[in-house]
Amino acid sequence: MELKQSLGLIAPEILLSIASLVLLLVSAWAGDKASRAISVVACFVLGACFFIVAPTVCAGVAGPDVVAFNGLFTADAFSGFAKLLIFAATGAALVMAPKFFERTNSMMPEFPVLILLAALGMCLMVSATDLMTLYIGLELNSLASYVLAAFLRNDERSAEAGIKYFVLGALASGILLFGMSLTYGFTGSTDFGTVRAALTGDMSTGAMFAVVFVLAGLAFKISAVPFHMWTPDVYEGSPTPVTAFFATAPKVAAVSLLMRVSLDAFGMQADAWRQIVLFVALASIVVGALGAIGQSNIKRLMAFSSINNVGFILIGLVTGTVQGASAMLVYLAIYIAMTAGSFLAIIMMKDEAGAPVEKISDIAGLSRTKPALALCLAMMMFSLAGIPPLFGFWGKFVVFQAAVEANLVALAAIGIAASVIGAFYYLKIVKVMYFDEPADVVKGQSDWAHWALLIISTAFISPLGYLLTTWLGGIADKAAATLFLVAA
Amino acid sequence: MVDLTQYLPILIFLVIALGLSGLFVFLPMGVSRLTGAHKPSKDKLAEYECGFPAFEDSRHQFDVRFYLVAILFIIFDLEAAFLFPWAVSLDLTGWAGWITMMVFLGELLIGFAYAWKKGALEWE
Repeated sequence: MELKQSLGLIAPEILLSIASLVLLLVSAWAGDKASRAISVVACFVLGACFFIVAPTVCAGVAGPDVVAFNGLFTADAFSGFAKLLIFAATGAALVMAPKFFERTNSMMPEFPVLILLAALGMCLMVSATDLMTLYIGLELNSLASYVLAAFLRNDERSAEAGIKYFVLGALASGILLFGMSLTYGFTGSTDFGTVRAALTGDMSTGAMFAVVFVLAGLAFKISAVPFHMWTPDVYEGSPTPVTAFFATAPKVAAVSLLMRVSLDAFGMQADAWRQIVLFVALASIVVGALGAIGQSNIKRLMAFSSINNVGFILIGLVTGTVQGASAMLVYLAIYIAMTAGSFLAIIMMKDEAGAPVEKISDIAGLSRTKPALALCLAMMMFSLAGIPPLFGFWGKFVVFQAAVEANLVALAAIGIAASVIGAFYYLKIVKVMYFDEPADVVKGQSDWAHWALLIISTAFISPLGYLLTTWLGGIADKAAATLFLVAA
Repeated sequence: MVDLTQYLPILIFLVIALGLSGLFVFLPMGVSRLTGAHKPSKDKLAEYECGFPAFEDSRHQFDVRFYLVAILFIIFDLEAAFLFPWAVSLDLTGWAGWITMMVFLGELLIGFAYAWKKGALEWE
């Protein structure tokens, strides 16, 4: 029975949608006091989804058996790998949120519900093998994200972040839709496989525009230069747990989506999109590194850091090889651990009244007042800068290795040179924390759950992480191979 | 050469439609003048514009509740529009199509219940 099999393949998505609808009703009747309970249930739902998806990733499933609904949806190992990262990052955002919002009595039960809906949208994005599924997933995730950005309704900055994200996001969706309609017009199908088959040989100018518009729309979603201008404002204005969420899970989803669209749907026109992705990658690395230097707000700095990292991830896509795709997945896994850990440390920096501290000058001398917190943040910064004993180095290493083996030595050289510029502002944070006179602003105590999560992510990016390289590389290789298997 | 006779039904329709709609406009005007009920006032002559003054600067604040009602209206209006193609193709989509639509309606109902419980439908 075709339908039954399809429904079996979307089990995690069904679980997520039922859970979010039930929790929505519970949130309406139980009110604000149920926020914490709903968050806990949402975490368990994400955990259950994690364990449903995990075996398929380890087994490296691929082929026609995992294609659901006549090619609209594919639950292969590649999408599974991305989903595991998404569930982990989403769970981290759920753990971060309650303490942050409860101080101002603004924790509402809708928060975990919106997060679950966003996760559902992201699952659809990474599994999409049809332009229709792609767009539905993308919008489901985006609409939930717009509300999340404006979650602190009484905070002017949060409202501004929400409206800015909404207006620019709607514009990007329009650009993407335009590209999708051109794709449909020039290939006669929305199915990735058929689009791929139709786009062989010489490409018409119209189809060229289709590729360009789709890539531009997706570049906005991953906040790659030159579509990055919304990122610093939205990241600064959104509540910090929401910023942490934006910087991790949707990045994974949008990058995976971009990989599938480029390598699968537009796979026969690699020479056409490779130039675009090459430009976007280098521009993101350089603008991300240079833009971060003058920032005085740590959340804005992290926004530029995420732009910078997206550039490094895209270098893997430029290669267009299995090894490059596998390197991107490894980089993404390490990137979400580093980013979630950094934002956790930022959330844990509170002044005497418990208000969040965001100015870089306020964390001066943190090593003397809060040595453990300062050590964790310093390790995150070293790791983001890609300094060897830490795990962040490994991500950059595999990406550059893939680039060198694809004969892109010049690209790798420019990337490495630019990562040195990036190291400057990461090291500046470490310098401010360790060598400046204490500003004595950070005084607040932190929740045990925050500490636990921070220690886990710090352990992951510490040299201990290298114990995982063989295992992580193995499943990333399998996942990346399925992407090319479907395309072949 | 185009065979104009095949357009006869639409011609008849237009004549009757224009005649009837003209009648609806002018009959009440004539009747009110003849019966003496013709008493125009400022409010009666004003254009109907959803409770707002029609000619004014459009950049002024209005109640967010208008927006909420409009959004809810759009959702259920689109749902109704979606039901028509579903209804006529039900013989092709079968039970799977029927169940899918019921799931969709159930989801909308949950959203409606949420909006109702949150007080989005209460004006005061």
